[in-house]
Amino acid sequence: MSALAYALVAFVLATAIATALFRDVLSTIVVFGAYSLGMAILYTYLLAPDVAMTEAAIGAGVTTVLLLLTIARTTRPSPDQLFERLDVPAVVAVGAFLLVAGTQVLPEMWAVGDPTAPVWSNAEVSQYYIQNTYADTHAQNAVTAVLAAYRGFDTFGEAVVVFAAGVAVLLVLKREVFV
Amino acid sequence: MLELLATHYAYALMFVLIAIGLYMIIANQNLVKKVIGVSLFQTAIFLFFISMAYVEGGSAPIVPADETPGELVVASPLPQVIVLTAIVVSIALTAVALSLVMRIYAEYGTLREDTLTEVRADE
Amino acid sequence: MADDVADTYTESQVIMTAVKVIAPFTLTYGMFMTLHGADTPGGGFQGGAIVGVTILMLAFAFGIEPTRRWLRNSVLVSLVTGGVVVFTGVGLATIALGGNFLEYDRFSEIGIAGKWGMEAIEVGGVSLIVSGVVITLFFAMAAGFTAERGPTATDADRGGDD
Repeated sequence: MSALAYALVAFVLATAIATALFRDVLSTIVVFGAYSLGMAILYTYLLAPDVAMTEAAIGAGVTTVLLLLTIARTTRPSPDQLFERLDVPAVVAVGAFLLVAGTQVLPEMWAVGDPTAPVWSNAEVSQYYIQNTYADTHAQNAVTAVLAAYRGFDTFGEAVVVFAAGVAVLLVLKREVFV
Repeated sequence: MLELLATHYAYALMFVLIAIGLYMIIANQNLVKKVIGVSLFQTAIFLFFISMAYVEGGSAPIVPADETPGELVVASPLPQVIVLTAIVVSIALTAVALSLVMRIYAEYGTLREDTLTEVRADE
Repeated sequence: MADDVADTYTESQVIMTAVKVIAPFTLTYGMFMTLHGADTPGGGFQGGAIVGVTILMLAFAFGIEPTRRWLRNSVLVSLVTGGVVVFTGVGLATIALGGNFLEYDRFSEIGIAGKWGMEAIEVGGVSLIVSGVVITLFFAMAAGFTAERGPTATDADRGGDD
């Protein structure tokens, strides 16, 4: 783990905490956009450029724009203080979750980037895709090959879900066209 | 403890982000901030999948144009594909949630959960 | 307030100039990622998202209402529906050629390499659906709910339906 990874983790953590604690909704949205961008860079560090590009365009771009539109169309309460008051019962509840996850679950997980971890090293799934992608599909990008060829039916479902969400928004807003 | 955090940094970050997302969903009264909390929770899960696919000293999942590539050290493509589609579904989910928030505001004139409960109780 | 889609818009020389310079590049980048997704990082989801974001950027710089008039509803509807139709069509074509749903190798029987089936899904299916839906969601959210019923909708409707 390099200094870059430490810096990215620290940035993501700081922006996430700021997102939770800022009282002004507009500040929250802007900080959340910065958080998504930091997350996209972290994905690049973790060898996922495809996901990073999508996260940068959709997480940092479209989500921020939709949230801004929502407060423009509804209301933005004028902030009376900079930070939210801490909700003690909620802090206790998520603190208990963190305690259990940190002491019981985390030590049992494989180290990040461990080549012996079954997710990466199993011969039937991950290694099969890596070894046979070009022979099977003639695409060099394994992500595209898995997305469109090996798991095409899955992608078809996802595409239809996205299509259905577009229809659902129009229904909820009682519109027949996107006026 | 510190060594565990150093080797499991992405997973530790994932748990903290899940906790922050849960906290926002529970504690924040503003509905828009609850939706942001859901989004934050989702990105924590995306981070979990991506860090599972990561391999130390590898490269991005681009395989050379060779019928028998041999020993390749690239990240696993499958979790990345799942996250890729999940991100697009997550924006659709956020949009549906935000349009419901707009509808609630149009009906009740408030975005605060406590005020909303009072208004609903009065009816 | 009936046409208050545009009322949050403020004309800014800085943003307009910046977007004028950047937009051609992001559009090209999105298309490159879509069309070259088989060999470099990229693909339908990423490219479609970036093309969609380009339109959002234009709408932010030049006003949502003019952008919406420039990009007609029928264009968006045909983008999204066309994507789903292409995707389903390629899948059904492989069945018609005697294979399973989306079994691209069947295309080699009629002289098309299986790779082009995958490209058709990426370019003609996924990227059209994603870019279309991103733009659709943006315009639908920008129109909001109150505009349709006029300025007093929030007061008149409060506690009205149930």
